[in-house]
Amino acid sequence: MILFFLTSGLFLGWSLGANDASHVFGSAVGSKMVTFRKAAIIASIFFILGAVLQGSGTSHTLSKLGSVNAIGGSFTVALAAGITNYMMTKFAFPISTTQAIVGAIIGWNLFTGNSTDSKTLSTIVAAWVAGPVIGALFAVLLYIGIRKFKRHVKIHLIRFESYIKTGLIIVGAFGSYSLGANNIANVMGVFVPAFNLNDLDLGFITLNSAQQLFLLGGFAIATGIITYSWKVMDTLGSNILELSAEAALVVVLAQSLVLFIFSSSALSALGVSIGLPPIPMVPVSSSQVIVGCIIGIGLYKGARNIKFKVLGEIALAWIISPVASGLLTFFLLFFMKNLFGIEVDHNSAADITVSEDYTTLTDYSISAIIKYLLLGISIFGTIGTTLYFLLERKKKRDLQKSEERFWMNMK
Amino acid sequence: MPVFTRTTKKLIIKLDDFFDNVDLSLLVFREALKAYLNKDMPSFTRHLQKADSLEKNADRLQREIENDMITHSILPQHRGDVIQLIEQIDEIIDGVKSTLYEFDIEIPEIPQKLSNSFINLAEVSASAGEELLPAARAYFKTPFTVREKLLKVYYFESETDKVAYDLKKLIFHEMPELDLAHKAHLRYIIHHIEKISDLAQKAADLLSGMAIKIVI
Repeated sequence: MILFFLTSGLFLGWSLGANDASHVFGSAVGSKMVTFRKAAIIASIFFILGAVLQGSGTSHTLSKLGSVNAIGGSFTVALAAGITNYMMTKFAFPISTTQAIVGAIIGWNLFTGNSTDSKTLSTIVAAWVAGPVIGALFAVLLYIGIRKFKRHVKIHLIRFESYIKTGLIIVGAFGSYSLGANNIANVMGVFVPAFNLNDLDLGFITLNSAQQLFLLGGFAIATGIITYSWKVMDTLGSNILELSAEAALVVVLAQSLVLFIFSSSALSALGVSIGLPPIPMVPVSSSQVIVGCIIGIGLYKGARNIKFKVLGEIALAWIISPVASGLLTFFLLFFMKNLFGIEVDHNSAADITVSEDYTTLTDYSISAIIKYLLLGISIFGTIGTTLYFLLERKKKRDLQKSEERFWMNMK
Repeated sequence: MPVFTRTTKKLIIKLDDFFDNVDLSLLVFREALKAYLNKDMPSFTRHLQKADSLEKNADRLQREIENDMITHSILPQHRGDVIQLIEQIDEIIDGVKSTLYEFDIEIPEIPQKLSNSFINLAEVSASAGEELLPAARAYFKTPFTVREKLLKVYYFESETDKVAYDLKKLIFHEMPELDLAHKAHLRYIIHHIEKISDLAQKAADLLSGMAIKIVI
């Protein structure tokens, strides 16, 4: 049963992959510099790495906003956020899972009568405003720099674009890593308090309970990227503003920097050590940051190419998504509690006792199931990726041979 | 990834080779016509063969460039334009070859009086093509200089039109000793020589638009 509850988190992860992850490579794919398949594979791998290795920072912030302390509540919160995210993805609106999950947690707080930590909420909302502004600023500065560099060095266009393409892949990988680190808390953060899994020793790394959940969430996200992120990538890459190759690189780089800033505890500590205020570890809305970056470049180029209608629709979706997610959570919690009799929060001591017994009883089997699930998916993913690269290589070789044959016949 | 392969380097070399071929073919075109008008047929045949081999080489390079650009997804946003430009420039070298073959097959009889005018026509028409090539090369390195380089193409194209017009007028108005069939044949040959500059202008129009797109 407890694993069934996790499915809503995996669904949310899938929708996050389909929507948020596309933000990183959207401009690269939209500008046709990187193929969708290549982008999807790189984003998946680095998203998982970021989630597992650096994903714990922002999950604490979400816990502070509202500590969803019952697995039924976690299930409903993730489900509502997932549905909201899926609907927005279906209409190709680049919203963030952050917005949906924050709305859903507030919905849970309202339903259960828990108070919403207004300080944390204001920090998150402030980051939503600061994110795109900082992103736009970074984007403009980087864009000016890259244009000046290009003009100054008189590099061959083909060579320049090949550097840009390589840069897009490297920066995209970095962006995926940062987004994984920053946003995994949205997917699995609400389940972390409800699970206590045994450590999983993979030989080269030992994963604790939270990291195992993050890895599982990472796999769900990777599935979302591969199966459903194309639509949003297209909206970001070409619908708001036609991006040139260098603009695409700048957008991904600026976005990755912003995400990295808001999820790097080490950077924050470094700032504090030199007397700067600490950077809040907040799950930033990647969609807002990337749209901010694109607008920044559009404004620098004179704003004439920006499609303001598309931009208005996106802004509306940003407002609608947390509200819709909150309302949906509220109604779903009502049905979960009153129709199915599932506890959605632990207010009484009796509830907690029952829950602890339940968790303790199932700990070993759940750990084993999750262990084999993770290993199975890892092996399957590795084989799939290797096969893909081998097939691509074979295709290129076949083409080369047919070309050689053509010229032999011509002679 | 492009940085780990030599595709980019090879493609740049192929592009340069392609432009070199076209450049050489225009030089050969001039020399071939001079040889023909000087009645130096062995030299004309040698130049004709050279033009033929340059054209074949350019065709091969054109195909390889197109293939490389598509299969390695190079310049995805400008690929269509670049391929079209190469096709347009290839038409110039095709024009050179076909014009020289017209001379070889039809052996037009050009009066001694018109020799210099024909050489002049070939010079200005080939110059239009030759001036296109630095602009095409500049598109890849210094796109903001393309438009100023193209001014020379437009100048030589209009010069070609003027020279061709004067030549045709001379043939039809001031040379009653030629019969109409001869005049028509000469007009046809003039039209062929003139075509080289028209093709250069067509490519220049395309290149001009491409340069604006890339600079903005």
